[in-house]
Amino acid sequence: MTLPIFAQMAVSGAFMGLVYALIAYGFQLTYATSKSINFGQGELVMVSAFFSLTLLNLGVPYWAMIPCGLVFGAAMGLVIERTAVRLALEQKSEGWILLSIIGGLFLFSTAENIWGRDDHPFPTPMSTDPIHVLGVDVTRNEIAVAVGVFAIMGLIELFKRRTLLGKAFEAVSADRDAAELMGISATRTVMLSYGLSGAVAAVAGILVSPITTVGPTMASALILKAFSVAVVAGLDSGFGVVVIGMMLGILESLSSFQLGSGWREAPGLVLLILALALRPTGVFGKTAIRKV
Amino acid sequence: MKRLLLIHGAELIAMALLGSIPLFISNPYVLALLTLLAIYGILLIGLDVTVGFLGQVNLGHVAFLGLGAYAAGLMVTRFGFGMIPALLAAMAVGFILGALLALPSLRLEGPQFALATLSFAALSTTALNELEGLTGGAQGLSLTRPPWFGRELTPPGFYWLCLAMLVLVWVLMRNVLASHWGRAFEALRDSPIATDAMGVGTYRHKVAAFALGSGLGGLAGGLYAFNFQYLQPQSFTYDLMVILLLGVVLGGRKSLWGALVGATLVVLLPNLLSNHTLFRIFAGVGFLVMVVTGVQGLIRKRLRPFQALAPIVAMGMLVLGGFVVENTENWRKAIFSLMLFSVVVGLPEGLMGFLSEFLTQAFKVPPVPLPEPATLDSVLPVRIPEDSPILVLEDLKRYFGGVKAVDGLSITIRAGSIHGLIGPNGSGKSTVVNVISGLYLPTAGRVLLRGKPLPLGSLVKVAKAGVARTFQNLQLFGELTALENVMVALRGVYHSPLPLVLLGLAYKEEQKARAEALTLLELVGLREEARTKAKDLTYGAQRFLEIGRALARKPEILILDEPAAGLAHPDVLKQIEVIQRIQQRGMTIILIEHHMDVVSELCDVVSVLDGGRLIAEGSPETIKRDPKVVEAYLGQPQPPTGGISPLEPLTA
Repeated sequence: MTLPIFAQMAVSGAFMGLVYALIAYGFQLTYATSKSINFGQGELVMVSAFFSLTLLNLGVPYWAMIPCGLVFGAAMGLVIERTAVRLALEQKSEGWILLSIIGGLFLFSTAENIWGRDDHPFPTPMSTDPIHVLGVDVTRNEIAVAVGVFAIMGLIELFKRRTLLGKAFEAVSADRDAAELMGISATRTVMLSYGLSGAVAAVAGILVSPITTVGPTMASALILKAFSVAVVAGLDSGFGVVVIGMMLGILESLSSFQLGSGWREAPGLVLLILALALRPTGVFGKTAIRKV
Repeated sequence: MKRLLLIHGAELIAMALLGSIPLFISNPYVLALLTLLAIYGILLIGLDVTVGFLGQVNLGHVAFLGLGAYAAGLMVTRFGFGMIPALLAAMAVGFILGALLALPSLRLEGPQFALATLSFAALSTTALNELEGLTGGAQGLSLTRPPWFGRELTPPGFYWLCLAMLVLVWVLMRNVLASHWGRAFEALRDSPIATDAMGVGTYRHKVAAFALGSGLGGLAGGLYAFNFQYLQPQSFTYDLMVILLLGVVLGGRKSLWGALVGATLVVLLPNLLSNHTLFRIFAGVGFLVMVVTGVQGLIRKRLRPFQALAPIVAMGMLVLGGFVVENTENWRKAIFSLMLFSVVVGLPEGLMGFLSEFLTQAFKVPPVPLPEPATLDSVLPVRIPEDSPILVLEDLKRYFGGVKAVDGLSITIRAGSIHGLIGPNGSGKSTVVNVISGLYLPTAGRVLLRGKPLPLGSLVKVAKAGVARTFQNLQLFGELTALENVMVALRGVYHSPLPLVLLGLAYKEEQKARAEALTLLELVGLREEARTKAKDLTYGAQRFLEIGRALARKPEILILDEPAAGLAHPDVLKQIEVIQRIQQRGMTIILIEHHMDVVSELCDVVSVLDGGRLIAEGSPETIKRDPKVVEAYLGQPQPPTGGISPLEPLTA
């Protein structure tokens, strides 16, 4: 493989990796407050993308569609929290794993029947001409991905640090019981985290759709990689997901080029199993002390 | 006797019925369904080992079905082997890959385990698709069923073979799951730490359970290959996995019958979905079941409102959908998800859990008879303690970052004594116990048992060296009965190798284990509660059960970590008596306690800790008057004599 092709593959892989990072960031938000993640997050990405596409087709302008998509994603996140997560958390069980898988399955089937099984293109106002930077082509959609990912992650981090509600979020993440004693409702904070996580999923859907097209199965490959990124980076490091996400994006882009596109998923999966085996808390995660 | 007759009778009748159907009905479609039922039965029994007994969400079982199927298929097509070697290979592939996957996944709990198995499944689909040279890739792999001992198998013949396999698996698994292996699987689900601390070892049991379940998945895969005679990687994906989980959960976890009921459902589902009338009836029945159980659960306060209402809404949607939707086939995933949701939320014990309670009452099935307890002398023989130190802590240190929880502690504990360990909160008592029992590695220092270094940092090894402990925050195996809790920890009873256990020939030692466990329950005053699940015991009884379970290790040293915490006064008195009786057997006891009356009553020597260091040691009487101790507790000096000591017995 010549160097320019190598660089080109690596760059587009890295942009894709940012999407994985964003979805993984959505896992981190809910994991922080409730030690649970939504196994149906991929379907959330997908239905949000479909919803946004429908708005566009109805003639809603692109920039007005984005907030609507965000609200829709947040609402779906809240539905998942209510139906799949809250009961299990109250019972201190891990039932949310199975229940959120079930929730995702339901969304998948519904989307399949409402919007059909075909893939649809997702129009954007950006022009499709690539920009040449140092001999590498970068599309405007890819730049939009980078801008969008950093913007939403930055906004949420700012929200967590600067607002009272955000500090409540951090308090519940640090110590749920202590936060409850200080008068912060853990249940509502968990709801907040699922709402935010849903909104993040919607952003991911809107950003990735122009690149991958929109279809019921669009997220099934995405989600596996987002899982890998979240686990390899650790479920509590926002910085880690960006680094690992881009690394994985580059790695799989190169490996699918070298080994054939069927092997595209393999590096992420192998990395995930390895990371779980060697360092279950992730490369950037903190090790917890077992207490009895 | 009646119990065995009823249970085995039901099994015999069910299997005989299944076996004789081909004699009366020659419809090939029915036969195909029955064959599939037998295969899925084996598959779901395997899945139930991880999902039910280990309590983990296993999303990789479908991969073992696929890998097993391909292994059998390749054995026949590429290497020309017969059916039996092919089936054995299928099982071995499942077993070995299962063990390999379990090894790194060992430390993982809940979501991480689910993710690891999910990735494995995705990875194996990729491999089956991409290794075209071997598997034929997406084109699929065709094979013809090899003859069975030189004879071509007719469809009924192959069905009987599958059914025979199911019966074999059923019998073997029943034996294993009812033995100490099955109990260990459940124990490590409820409390991995306690499982290790009882010397059982989560490590090998988790690997064994996962390998066993995956091996059955592989075997089912082999039969699957010979049934369909055509394999495609797409057949073994996430969709099928969800259906399998639906089968196990709906049928009922931790139950062979549940697996069979679940398999029946999985086999019949396509028919249900393709026939409109049948589907409406099914949805209606499901709706009624949920209404009945929901209302019942609400009245008896067994269910939260959400648990009662959400399944009714979900099944209501299904009924509604049955009238609105033209083609139910297109909505199959939504239908599965609504059904699964209703069962997981509203019927967590599954159909068999629901039915077995009802059947037990209807047929008056008597509970398992308990043997006479063994004599206490045979279980815990009296040891005459030699007059020497048994446990020595030498300059023990344990730091957590900058926090010096234990900071250079040296204590000598004499054999046969009750050695108290007291100190204000945060003085390092629990850390000392956790270091001795192997939960934490010490930062520095040694622990000597009879002059020999105690293994460090391993709960299992310490437990095997003869040190048993209880837990301040109860770590009982909640889903097991009091008797089973003790039986899990029991030492020196289980000698039979796994093959004998599989064949059900370990009956004698099982009886002996029951008798011994009963003796220990009697010692701690819980004989009447032997059949109660640990989670249903009163809080006081749970504290006593912790002690009884630790005694089952027949330890030289028993560490009691705040055994009287939160106990009512009569229970405290009862506990003092129990501990005295244990000491009379010649056991050395380390007692961490806050109740000063318990300490004064029981302890021969008391060590007082503050800030991770030893500040005083001596008899309870001298300790109480030690100014340093008083200061540690109250934070201000008191006149050395006279005045009121804050550590006077509360009940004096």
